[in-house]
Amino acid sequence: MTVPLTLLLILILFCILLIAALFVRPGATITRAGKISAFLILFCLPILCMSMGVSNQLERSTSTEFCLSCHTMEAFGKSLHVDDPSYLAAAHFQNHRVPAAEACYTCHTDYTMFGTLHSKLRGLRHVYIYYLTTPPAPEKIKLYTAYNNRECLHCHEGARSFESGAVHNSDADLLPAIKANKKSCISSGCHDVVHNVSTLNNVKFWNGEK
Amino acid sequence: MMLANNPFERRLQLAGIFLILGLLVEAFCLVWKGPLAFLLFLGLGGILLFAGIVVYLFSLVSIPHAQD
Repeated sequence: MTVPLTLLLILILFCILLIAALFVRPGATITRAGKISAFLILFCLPILCMSMGVSNQLERSTSTEFCLSCHTMEAFGKSLHVDDPSYLAAAHFQNHRVPAAEACYTCHTDYTMFGTLHSKLRGLRHVYIYYLTTPPAPEKIKLYTAYNNRECLHCHEGARSFESGAVHNSDADLLPAIKANKKSCISSGCHDVVHNVSTLNNVKFWNGEK
Repeated sequence: MMLANNPFERRLQLAGIFLILGLLVEAFCLVWKGPLAFLLFLGLGGILLFAGIVVYLFSLVSIPHAQD
């Protein structure tokens, strides 16, 4: 659970005021009550503020707005508004198959025990590349590793449209191969149009939702 | 503002300075949205808060207690 930002800022301000009071009157810590207060003010409250802040920052870093705040990602954000259902990312975004506010994160996190941590480490790498090196052109940006079907199956496995789909069942070996990640969902001939940012100059856009 | 003459109180004040700076950085980063704010929050804010807490804990163990 994330604490609302305003509440967190009020808590931080309150903590600053208490520390400032202790700074002005450090002699107040002579008494037992003063010592306990100092422990709460100089140890417990800052840790509480920090942990709530970290939680807030981590939650914020999953937002679509956060991901698209880098200039390099603009084209990928634009690709979410392509008016063509064959564009996988756009179809998911526009039809709310993924939460619109966390569209990037929903598909690009790893659904594993340490998936969120791995995502944050990848994010740090992105920040390093963006600010300290020359970022590649959007059309040259590639995934670090091949997209794992696990991320698709997190939502689609067990869904009727996926399990009973005519194409998915056209070959008896296909569904097991997809589930075992032996046949990629985004492989050629399947759902291979994902963001395709190099083609954005030639497509129509849907402006129903920002 | 002058720091106290008593070493224990001076360390408490020093811890307070670090903590206030850390909390200010944290508050600033929470208002400013973006990847750099995230890094600044964890990097600078985290280090300042950590330093403040360490100085405070150090002050507890480094000054001989009056009853000792």
